[in-house]
Amino acid sequence: MHHQRRKTREDTWRSDELKKHLRSSYSSVQGEEKKPRERRLQRDDDVDSDRDLRPRNKEKEERHKYREGDRERHRELDKAHHEDWERELDRIKEKEQRARKEKSREKDRGTDRKLKEGALHADLEFGLEEYGRKELSRTKERPRRRGSEDLVEKEKQRIEDRERRHQERKEKEGRIKVNGQTKDKHESMSGYRDPEREHRRRKLKETDPEFPNADKEKRYRDRKEQENAEREKRYRTVQEVDLLHDKERRHRSSKEEPQGFTAQDLEEKRKEKRYRERALLDEDRERRHRERKERAEKEERRKRDYERPKHRRLEESLKHKPAADIHSGRDEQGQEKTFGKDKESANSEESERKLVAESSEVVHENYSANYEEDFEDYADDFEEEEEEEEVVEDDGDARVDTEPAEKLNGISSAKRAEIEEIQKAINAENERVAAFPPRHSQSVLEREQRKDPQDFKNKMPHRGKYIDFVTAKHRQISQKITDKQKKRSMELLRLIDLDFSITFSFLDLAPVNEYDMYIRNFGKRNTKQVYVQCNEDCVDRDLQTDEIDTIDKWTQHPGESALVSGGPSNSQALSLDAPLIPKIDSQKLANFLRSACQVIAVLLEEDRAERQTVQNLNSQETNLSISNGCFQLNTNLPFLHERKISRLHFSQVQRHVLLTVHDLPQDLSTVRLDRKYIICVWNIWEPSIPQKILVCEAQIKCCCFSPGKATLVFAGTVDGSVVMWDLRENSSMHHCKKIINTDWIFRSPTFSTDGILTTVNHVCSVEAIEPVPTSVSKMQNHGLSRLESQEEMLGLSFQIASLDENGILNLWVVIELQTVDPAGSQSDLGLIPGGRVKLVHSSAVHLISSFFPKDITCLETPQTLNIKFLPLDSNHFVIGTDIGVVIHGTRHGLRVPPKVYRPQQYGTRPVRVTSIDFSPFGEPAFLVGCSDGSIRLHFMIAQYPIMQWNDSTKGQSIVAVRWALTRPTVFFVLDATSNIYIWDLLESDLHPAAKETIRSDKVMDMDVLGEPEKNSGLLGLAFAKKSGLLEIQYLKKKWAISQPEEAKMLHKILQEAV
Amino acid sequence: MGEAHAEVTENSYTIRPNFHHKFRTGPVKTCIQKVLKETLLNKEYIPEEVPQLTKSLSETIKNKLKEIGFDRYKIVVQVVIGEQRGEGVKMAARCFWDADTDNYAQEVFMNDSLFCVVAAFGCFYY
Repeated sequence: MHHQRRKTREDTWRSDELKKHLRSSYSSVQGEEKKPRERRLQRDDDVDSDRDLRPRNKEKEERHKYREGDRERHRELDKAHHEDWERELDRIKEKEQRARKEKSREKDRGTDRKLKEGALHADLEFGLEEYGRKELSRTKERPRRRGSEDLVEKEKQRIEDRERRHQERKEKEGRIKVNGQTKDKHESMSGYRDPEREHRRRKLKETDPEFPNADKEKRYRDRKEQENAEREKRYRTVQEVDLLHDKERRHRSSKEEPQGFTAQDLEEKRKEKRYRERALLDEDRERRHRERKERAEKEERRKRDYERPKHRRLEESLKHKPAADIHSGRDEQGQEKTFGKDKESANSEESERKLVAESSEVVHENYSANYEEDFEDYADDFEEEEEEEEVVEDDGDARVDTEPAEKLNGISSAKRAEIEEIQKAINAENERVAAFPPRHSQSVLEREQRKDPQDFKNKMPHRGKYIDFVTAKHRQISQKITDKQKKRSMELLRLIDLDFSITFSFLDLAPVNEYDMYIRNFGKRNTKQVYVQCNEDCVDRDLQTDEIDTIDKWTQHPGESALVSGGPSNSQALSLDAPLIPKIDSQKLANFLRSACQVIAVLLEEDRAERQTVQNLNSQETNLSISNGCFQLNTNLPFLHERKISRLHFSQVQRHVLLTVHDLPQDLSTVRLDRKYIICVWNIWEPSIPQKILVCEAQIKCCCFSPGKATLVFAGTVDGSVVMWDLRENSSMHHCKKIINTDWIFRSPTFSTDGILTTVNHVCSVEAIEPVPTSVSKMQNHGLSRLESQEEMLGLSFQIASLDENGILNLWVVIELQTVDPAGSQSDLGLIPGGRVKLVHSSAVHLISSFFPKDITCLETPQTLNIKFLPLDSNHFVIGTDIGVVIHGTRHGLRVPPKVYRPQQYGTRPVRVTSIDFSPFGEPAFLVGCSDGSIRLHFMIAQYPIMQWNDSTKGQSIVAVRWALTRPTVFFVLDATSNIYIWDLLESDLHPAAKETIRSDKVMDMDVLGEPEKNSGLLGLAFAKKSGLLEIQYLKKKWAISQPEEAKMLHKILQEAV
Repeated sequence: MGEAHAEVTENSYTIRPNFHHKFRTGPVKTCIQKVLKETLLNKEYIPEEVPQLTKSLSETIKNKLKEIGFDRYKIVVQVVIGEQRGEGVKMAARCFWDADTDNYAQEVFMNDSLFCVVAAFGCFYY
């Protein structure tokens, strides 16, 4: 038995767990459905024993047990009170009854506590039954109460609705409570009743705030007590009837239970338990049924609120019948215990029942009183009413205890007060206990019991089914499915391993930086990308190195001469680089070499010339009668071949230096220098080769040396230009040409006025060019030392006069440059690169307008052909014309008469003055040779000539007239037919002293060679021949060596003539 | 006996998918990709329309996946659409599942204005 019981408890616990499990697994929606389902299952239980039923029933049983446990506790409490009260009562009244009760109770307690409990339970239930009956009777007797009853019913329903909501919670709590309370129960059972009560009383005082409630209840109670007394009587009759019924029932149950109460305790206990279980089961079933029905009812109630009162009445009249039937089963329990004891106890029970009924009445009234309030404060309703219910319940219990005391009205007031106090304490205690939710279940139970019959009988058949079965079926199905699934999952979970996967990264977008975003959105906005260079990458870099050595060099292209490149030599660098080179005075060396070279060359020439002369003399018998010897300059040179020599000119200072002007050759193809006219500078002591070869583009009409040392050569050309050569120039400056194994240097003009100075330059051919002699040098002595003249010439510049045929006399200043520009001058375009001497135009004299007399120029403009400066005074000059007169001009100062030197014949004739020559011995007299063959001797101060020889040449044109350099009274005349006449005025002033004709060749020009200073008697004549030969004839001594006093003779002759 | 019976039924449980019906990533991916391309190509991110778009996308993809025929699979499709504004985005998932049977496929679609991440999870019904 114990074992069984223990097992059930364990099962209970287990099922609890399961329930919890299920509840948690099912949704809260399902939780609502649970009750009906269970109920339904229960019903099924009756019909067909389902396999699911058992656990459910068990579960139900357990739930009942909790409730029972609850109730048990109450009962025990009650019992405790009971005993107290009984003790008092015993003292006062019915000792036997008490004794019997005590005995049975003690016996029960001794054997099994539960038996007693069962009895108590039965008592309680009986009381409730009584109440039900009372209600029934009340409905009959007091119809006026119906309204309140309706309200009560409504109230109940409301409560139950709420209960349903919170039942689970309470059940849980109740369950917990049960455990705790059973312990309490044991404690209370151990015999400490008084202390406990004392404690409770103390608690009561402490929980004073609850007093009003208690007071209220008390008031109610007091008010009702009178009624109760009346009612008691009425009920008793009914109860008696009921008792009969009960007895019958008891009999029936006793039949069902063959052993009866006389059976052994053990068996009794077992039975008891079974019965209780059954009873509880029934209760539960009822309750559920009721609940279901009530819900349905509630739904319908809304629909037909008006119909309700009628129905209700009917229902309520019928209500108690089934309740009674049902209760019969339960009553049996109690009956079993109480049956065989005695009637007295039954009576006491009856009285208790009455009290319970009363108390429930109170509750009803309470409800009715609170009804409106409840509606107003709906939210709080639930708990309040719960409390009230508890209170009512406890009240009932308390009333059960207190009633006997009240019955004894005769008891002293002190006692009564004490009792009341205790009562209060109990009430308070009960209230306090009621504050705990678990009680609720019991109260629910009670109410259900009360309500059940009406619901069960009237509403279920036609309303409950039609709603319940559809939804419930669904629920059941789903329940089954979930069960299956759950089972399945339980089984499968063992087989399946669930695990956490690794974290899958779905997307990892890195934030885009601003620039990328910009670039991404770039193309979308009508933009275009353009690259711009902002010079950031332009970096300056410096590098320090040694200074670069620079040397200036120049070149020329085309390289016309040997000197095509040059530049200043870096002498300092060279000296630094080559300190070991010995110092050479190159200037000195050059000078030495130059002079030594000349000497040697001359010696060599002389040596050769001597041998040649010997050969010539021997071989050629061509010696002239007037000469005692002759030699030829070597003109048989390739470039001079077949060139006609047009002019001859000896230097005035250096008598051995000869200029020869060579015209163009007839055969143009022979030599390459075809197109160029050539001037050769000869040293007559070196006849083999010319010293210098000068070339010019234009035909040369006249030429002359510089007045001092023969370093410069001037020439006038047909095209009006004046050209100049500097003979000192280095040969490298000029063009070198190799002709038949010999290098010849052809010197280009150092300076040329050709093409430059066009405003002042000659516009027609230059007829004569003469150096303007420095008066000083000429004044003193023409035999002055060369050094002096050289020195003069070095520093001083001199002038050149050039005369063209239109009578324009240009004076040029010859300037030697201090610095030489080898690259050529930018300003002096006529200057050769590297040239040092240039001509600067000094002045121009228009001879015809300024010097020619009007009578000459009135008819026609004469040509000017010659110019000669007076050797002693360079201010005066004479100009030969083509009209036979010679014009006397001065450079500056007053004009001196005679203006014109006329021939002896009056008037002008078209006679060209071909040659004019001043006397070299300082006499102001000059010879004039004319083209008509006349020769005139003029004195400077006389207009007309001193002497005139008209037919000496038989009408032949005079080519040249030259004074002899060594004899003052002798002069030479050359006519056009190559006749040479020697005149000696001392000998005869009417005829020439000698006449010689050169027949072999035509003589083109003649000049006098002689050294008047040495007085050596050397006098020679140089002849330029048409064939290009250049021949020098030494004259015989009689014409060469001057006579003593010859100069005076000449002077005398001139003075006589004037 | 009852328990023995249970064991018998237990043995009949299919706890592994058929090979042909196994949730494989490849076909799912291509399927998703196709749908995304059809739907989202040249789509602009419009905040008002995106919620609807995600719903329709997920529905479409789910239905398409069902057509492929993953027997006994529950298919969960998650679609996330966000705007491309250069912000960094990180998305990850973690599953508590049976790695032998369950799988997932994931596909990302991006255009200039939005990105779309679709994750399809297949969970096997035992």
